Amino acid sequence: MSIRLLSTPLRFFGAHTFSALVVFAALHSFITPAALAQNRVSKRFPAGKNVRVELKNISGTITVESWNRDEIKITASLEAPTANVSPKLVGECVSIDVMGDNRGRGDVGDVNFKIQVPQDSSVDIETRRGDITISNIRGGLVRAHISTEGDITLSGISATQVLAQNTIGDIFFDGGFSRGGTYQFQSTKGNISVRIPSDSAFRLVAAAPTRKIALGEFWNNGFKTLGDGRKFVGDVGDGRSSVMVTTFQGSITFLRR
Amino acid sequence: MNCEKCQELISDLVDGGLSRGDESTLSLHLEECLACADVRNDLQSIVAFCRNHRGEYSAPPNADALWLRICNVIEAETQLPARAALTRPPAKSFWSGWTSRSWELSMPQLAASAAAIVLVVSLGTTVGLRRWDNARGTGQVVSSPRSAAATQVRDRMWQQRQAINYWNQRVETNKARWNQGMRDTFERNLRVIDQAVNDSLNELNRDPHDEVSEEMLNAALNEKLALLREFSDL
Repeated sequence: MSIRLLSTPLRFFGAHTFSALVVFAALHSFITPAALAQNRVSKRFPAGKNVRVELKNISGTITVESWNRDEIKITASLEAPTANVSPKLVGECVSIDVMGDNRGRGDVGDVNFKIQVPQDSSVDIETRRGDITISNIRGGLVRAHISTEGDITLSGISATQVLAQNTIGDIFFDGGFSRGGTYQFQSTKGNISVRIPSDSAFRLVAAAPTRKIALGEFWNNGFKTLGDGRKFVGDVGDGRSSVMVTTFQGSITFLRR
Repeated sequence: MNCEKCQELISDLVDGGLSRGDESTLSLHLEECLACADVRNDLQSIVAFCRNHRGEYSAPPNADALWLRICNVIEAETQLPARAALTRPPAKSFWSGWTSRSWELSMPQLAASAAAIVLVVSLGTTVGLRRWDNARGTGQVVSSPRSAAATQVRDRMWQQRQAINYWNQRVETNKARWNQGMRDTFERNLRVIDQAVNDSLNELNRDPHDEVSEEMLNAALNEKLALLREFSDL
């Protein structure tokens, strides 16, 4: 008798506990720690011709890519729930200023961005740290600036002005140089690779104290070598665009597309 | 206490001219309000810098660029009201409009403007004194072009260092607010740039006429300046 009285509530309790554990485990498998920690902000803006996107981030990865829609979509994953991201449309410019939006809020952690824009957009991205990837943009300006460390990957770019700069990290450019365009790539400690069509025409100033400058098939006898091979200056083709490449502790490589 | 009242009293607090009651009320507000605490910190660093360098009359760190930045900030902030004003018919003369104009500047902008004025005045004084000294004629013959060029390089380096010191102080003030990861990143990157500066300097020591090293040195110093400037806002 005493055994039955004791075993019944125990079985009852055990069944409920087991069910609760199963439900908890099932929920837990769907809600990862990252999903629990990160907030997501998404916003769309109508985009006319010559639209410009400006982003000032503090930390996090940034991906910008083109799509076939006349609108801009900004998606941000916020590591800290207290962080604030408020994209604004002023005229033809969509601007996101993470630093300004979070002044006085303390550490806002990483904010990772994915931005989709029309092909003809101008893109001006800067961050204190984190990788920047920009692909298939054909607007007037593409600027990627990382104050400290992070890789910069620019692929399918055909803008008239391209600026890429970081301190630690590699820079990769794959695209074309437009007539009269200016292109600057600078890294303090990183390798810079430039992949362009073989018929590209540009005036090049390339400097690397490590003397690791490989111009490949773009080399010609008209190039002036300065400082024992630390700097090359010369024209490729008719030199109709201006290209400056500088790395202090890395290599410079030109590749044929 | 609200932020507006607080920011009115901050300069008195920094000067030590507040009553104990006001000081304790203000301190309570500053403990709770990061924005006002930032204003206080900025003002303290500017005042400390001015006190520490009183009487030195050092050349400002790139005064033209500093003025340009200040003008840009003011212009950007006044652009919208100015555009709105353009749509209205002009009711006042230029002078009356100018004198009755309400200048809306935040404390950091005001402090930065004050610092810029001090730096520009000190530059003017320095240049004026140097010219006066030269005009007095000490019997020295005009220096050779080579030594003049060397002096120019030294002056440029010295000015660059002054600018770096200025921004470094601002960074040090703000650094405590950063997380450990950001501090580590900053230090690591600063070391990399310093390495680039030292490599260029070593090359220049070996060959003082090496133009490539001089260019690289300038670029590395500019890079360092840019890094400090960008992190001084963080």
